[in-house]
Amino acid sequence: MHAPAATLSSSRPEESDPIARFLLKRLGLALATLFLLSVIVFAAAQLLPGDVGRNVLGPFASQQQVDRLNHELGVDRPIVVQYGDWISRFVRGDLGDSLQYKEPVWGLLGPALGNSLKLAAVAFVLLVPLSILGGVVAALRRGRLVDRMITITGLSLTSIPEFVTAIVLILMIGIWLKWLPVTATAPEGANIVTQVKYLLLPSLALVAVLFGYVARITRASVIEAVDADYTRTAYLKGLDGRHVMTRHVLRNSLLPTIAVVATQVGYLIGGLLVIEKLFNYNGIGQRIYVAAQNKDFVMLQDGVLIVGIVYLVATLLADILYSLLNPRIRFGGVE
Amino acid sequence: MRRLDAYRFSQAGPLENDLIDEFAEGGMDRQEFIKRATVLGLSVGVIGSALAALDAPLAFAAPAAAKAGGRLRVGIIPPPTKDVEPYTLADQGGLETAGIAGEFLTRATQTLTLQPELALSWKPNANATVWTFKLRPNVKFQTGEAFGADDVVATYNRLVGPDSGALSAFKGVLSTGGVKAIDNLTVQFTLDAPTASFPYLTSSTTYQAIILPKDYKVGSYTKISPVTGAFRLTSYTPGVGAKYDRNPGWWGGKSPLDGVDATYYSDDAAVISALLGNQIDLVGQVQFATGRALFNNPNVQIFSTRGATHRQVPMRVNLNNPLKDRRVRQAIALTLDRPGIVKTLFNGFADIGNDSPFAPVYPSTNRKVPQRVKNLAKAKALLAAAGYPRGFKITLTTEKVGEIPQLAQIIQRSVKAIGIDMKIVLLTATQYFDGTQDGPPTGYGNTPWLNTPMNITDWGHRSVPNVFLTAAIKSRGVWNAAQYKNPKLDRVIDRFLGAIAASDQRKFAGQIQDTLLRDTPVIFPYFYNYLAAGSKKVKGYKADALGQVYLSRTSLA
Repeated sequence: MHAPAATLSSSRPEESDPIARFLLKRLGLALATLFLLSVIVFAAAQLLPGDVGRNVLGPFASQQQVDRLNHELGVDRPIVVQYGDWISRFVRGDLGDSLQYKEPVWGLLGPALGNSLKLAAVAFVLLVPLSILGGVVAALRRGRLVDRMITITGLSLTSIPEFVTAIVLILMIGIWLKWLPVTATAPEGANIVTQVKYLLLPSLALVAVLFGYVARITRASVIEAVDADYTRTAYLKGLDGRHVMTRHVLRNSLLPTIAVVATQVGYLIGGLLVIEKLFNYNGIGQRIYVAAQNKDFVMLQDGVLIVGIVYLVATLLADILYSLLNPRIRFGGVE
Repeated sequence: MRRLDAYRFSQAGPLENDLIDEFAEGGMDRQEFIKRATVLGLSVGVIGSALAALDAPLAFAAPAAAKAGGRLRVGIIPPPTKDVEPYTLADQGGLETAGIAGEFLTRATQTLTLQPELALSWKPNANATVWTFKLRPNVKFQTGEAFGADDVVATYNRLVGPDSGALSAFKGVLSTGGVKAIDNLTVQFTLDAPTASFPYLTSSTTYQAIILPKDYKVGSYTKISPVTGAFRLTSYTPGVGAKYDRNPGWWGGKSPLDGVDATYYSDDAAVISALLGNQIDLVGQVQFATGRALFNNPNVQIFSTRGATHRQVPMRVNLNNPLKDRRVRQAIALTLDRPGIVKTLFNGFADIGNDSPFAPVYPSTNRKVPQRVKNLAKAKALLAAAGYPRGFKITLTTEKVGEIPQLAQIIQRSVKAIGIDMKIVLLTATQYFDGTQDGPPTGYGNTPWLNTPMNITDWGHRSVPNVFLTAAIKSRGVWNAAQYKNPKLDRVIDRFLGAIAASDQRKFAGQIQDTLLRDTPVIFPYFYNYLAAGSKKVKGYKADALGQVYLSRTSLA
């Protein structure tokens, strides 16, 4: 292990450390993606139907009032000027004021982002072990009843739209059985246990949607790993089953699972509009949706970019984990 | 009788005496007398004396003893769409949020009577162009200042200013400089034109007219709670909710509730499940179409009040298409099965419309005007006479709001029976109200809701039909989506607005109703009830036709 590091220490950094090279490349791509995202979201915001002033003042305001407000808000300036103004403020950490609510955007998006992260965390805590366990059990019982049950259940749950799953859960668990609250927001000052209790129902709805997807990827990867030559070699070397499973099968088969789970981060943070609406949760997805509805450019653009950043950070973290687990990256092989 | 006589000789003006005479002569029933008496500012004692002398004793039911304590959890749907600034309010969530804490000069009740709130009494001059309001003494704003006439003057000057959201109510009625303080507790409004129903414009139905201190700083409403009401707004988070605590210094005494926790909802299913799941106690507004689960649930009580909330189906009279011919417009109106529509869309929680803004709930509505009923044979004959025996193609544009898409489909199916091929264009509310509202090509800009050949628009409740007439029907009305012009009718409308005697109001109303039935620039299919829902433990709550959530006397069992 020491020899390659000693040998490569005299070379250029990108050649010397494959992980650093890999991550630098990923970071560069992430920044380019963010720039592209900022341009796209800004352009898309301009294309949204409606007029900012008209949305703020309502349908019955006079055109004169609307024009005056648009001027005050600066939305009648050239598009390029508006983009430059927005993005330069964003990179300095100034998110500006919401056009709709006339309050600082961070004061509105910050708590919403925190809420979304909480919901995503609870959903992850439930989803990852459950779906990996389900996938591994299905793979190890390939072709048997358990495998079929897990696969069919997962597939069925995934194919049901999340709002249907959520409504069924609300009706059964929240209203009929009264086991869990039907809204996701815990009362002010609630402790962590109460907060988790309020988040359980929406998290279950998310788990139902994602379980089949993650479990199937895990199952396929585990089957591939079990059938691989290195697993056979490990058995032939005389290693016991548990050793083979943890050191060889799971370690290799979890790589695609990590990648898949990482790609769900963006969805779990910013794409839960339906769940947030049904459980009346102040998440960033709802904030972005309402901003889009009301042509609140500033909040919409900031919100999308923040979700983009969270998504890219999560992907980067997944890449780091991936590179640490994947010897081919660690030792400078193929990415 | 002696008390009534004393009032008539010493205090009553010609308007008040006319009203009492009209009641004595049987020109109106007891309920209507009370409504009109409150508008003219007659005190409860005088009303009681008149009823005792001329009709039957008026029973003022003492409010049931309410259990004190507890915080009421109310769901508000939809959330305020912008900052909560009273004088610019333009949305349901905003008016409910502001109205829980704010107060008005007068408050419109469920039965369209007016109750004194920050004004104790009001009185017009002989032709209803000058109204004098006596204010309630010993009232303090929650910020500590004493309430007085200067606060009212400042509030109303803001309300008639260019940025006001209340111009639909005050334009042509009250202008800048029209309000002045006579003394610290007397305010005088000098109107632009005679307006017999002016006190209604000072009531909670003009939801922007919350009285604020004279030194009120715009933008501070949700931060300092500069109001006089029973509750103090203590926290507000846009899109999330608001909290209110009892105002210990309220002039009305101690409100039963310790406080109110308002949560905003943007989805009907979410607010309904929250009520059924006991996460909230009250929903400020429910729709029958989306809230059917509530209507037969034994644990839920429905609060219903009749009102003038309605949908208008204007048909452009000045485009080069078949709608230009009034026979065609009449034919379309004759295809509608209105009782069926009311049953389907509202389960009966609505009144049938008769193609004028005179809702059945208004005392001024002339009930002698015949109700338009479905008549396909007549509709076909009218269409043939207009030169379209095989019908024609037309586009109906509307917005995705409430039951409107279903109404559009009903109209589409209805007119098909007489050969009209109707295409529906469904827009979001944002798209529907987008664009300019004045200027070329016809003076109404380019917004879809004022310029499409035929559309459906949602209109809120008003205690009197004035705004519907002046804005949607009069020739230069700012929201005259049919672009209908009838100078003769304009004059009748002006007479109606200035008419003081109920009989005169009904006479002019009848003329307006007849003309609108003949010309049919706008179809008014129904006026629906305002519905709220709550758990059985909510006591003393009454739905408001405009959607105000008035909780000062509400309690929890």
